[in-house]
Amino acid sequence: MTYLVSLLLIALIIGLVAVASNPAPYFAALGLVVAAGVGCGVLIGHGGSFLSLVLFLIYLGGMLVVFAYSAALAAEPFPESWGDRSVAGYVLIYLLGVSLVVGLFWEDWYEGSWVVVDDLKEFSMLRGDVGGVAVMYSSGGGLLIISAWVLLLTLFVVLELTRGLGRGALRAV
Amino acid sequence: MTPVHFSFSSAFMLGLMGLAFHRTHLLSALLCLEGMMLSLFIALALWTMQLESTMFSAAPMLLLAFSACEASAGLALLVATARTHGTDRLQNLSLLQC
Repeated sequence: MTYLVSLLLIALIIGLVAVASNPAPYFAALGLVVAAGVGCGVLIGHGGSFLSLVLFLIYLGGMLVVFAYSAALAAEPFPESWGDRSVAGYVLIYLLGVSLVVGLFWEDWYEGSWVVVDDLKEFSMLRGDVGGVAVMYSSGGGLLIISAWVLLLTLFVVLELTRGLGRGALRAV
Repeated sequence: MTPVHFSFSSAFMLGLMGLAFHRTHLLSALLCLEGMMLSLFIALALWTMQLESTMFSAAPMLLLAFSACEASAGLALLVATARTHGTDRLQNLSLLQC
């Protein structure tokens, strides 16, 4: 189990190196999908199954799908992948930098405890993080209402930004 | 430093450097911002689970909600840029008229 979580953490770093080296946005979105998937695996390895599900549904299934659609706005005839000369330099620099910092911390590489968050006698629907999220609805109800108001406000912000050429916030000057 | 802390910290720093050294497209800068939000979500969720303070697990949920707001505002700016300048390439976002 320890080795599985270690592999997933390495895959998280490699996925974000793939995003940070700035290839064409198609490939960067692919790297982000991989990074979010293995990030969910890391959360599951610690026992947070509900938070992992939320990450998959909302982040991957909501936000990244919208980014994938918006990648049509960045269409190029010859998209640059990670093997192309300008991007490969960035990939090598970032991987080298991460390896250097790993080598810096190598002596005191403290393992930590990778047990799950709660110990139960049998299988249960309610883990620790599900109960914690339920607090958002009971004691944190005020913050929930404020967040809902903020989301509604953001909807109107987006509508104003994309209103059109003549009357929107961004115009051809 | 535990490997878990190192990995999400370096994921955040990588996203930050990708945002700082963006090259051609505005969308790739927005994707690096999303990568930073992903590393923050993983960090907060691992905080609740490793320190067993499960009441804190409302925090990554609210972080995700507000990062959805930020992503939608960024994409609205991208769409508006593509409408007025024709593309989202950063070399077009210049004040020179011609």
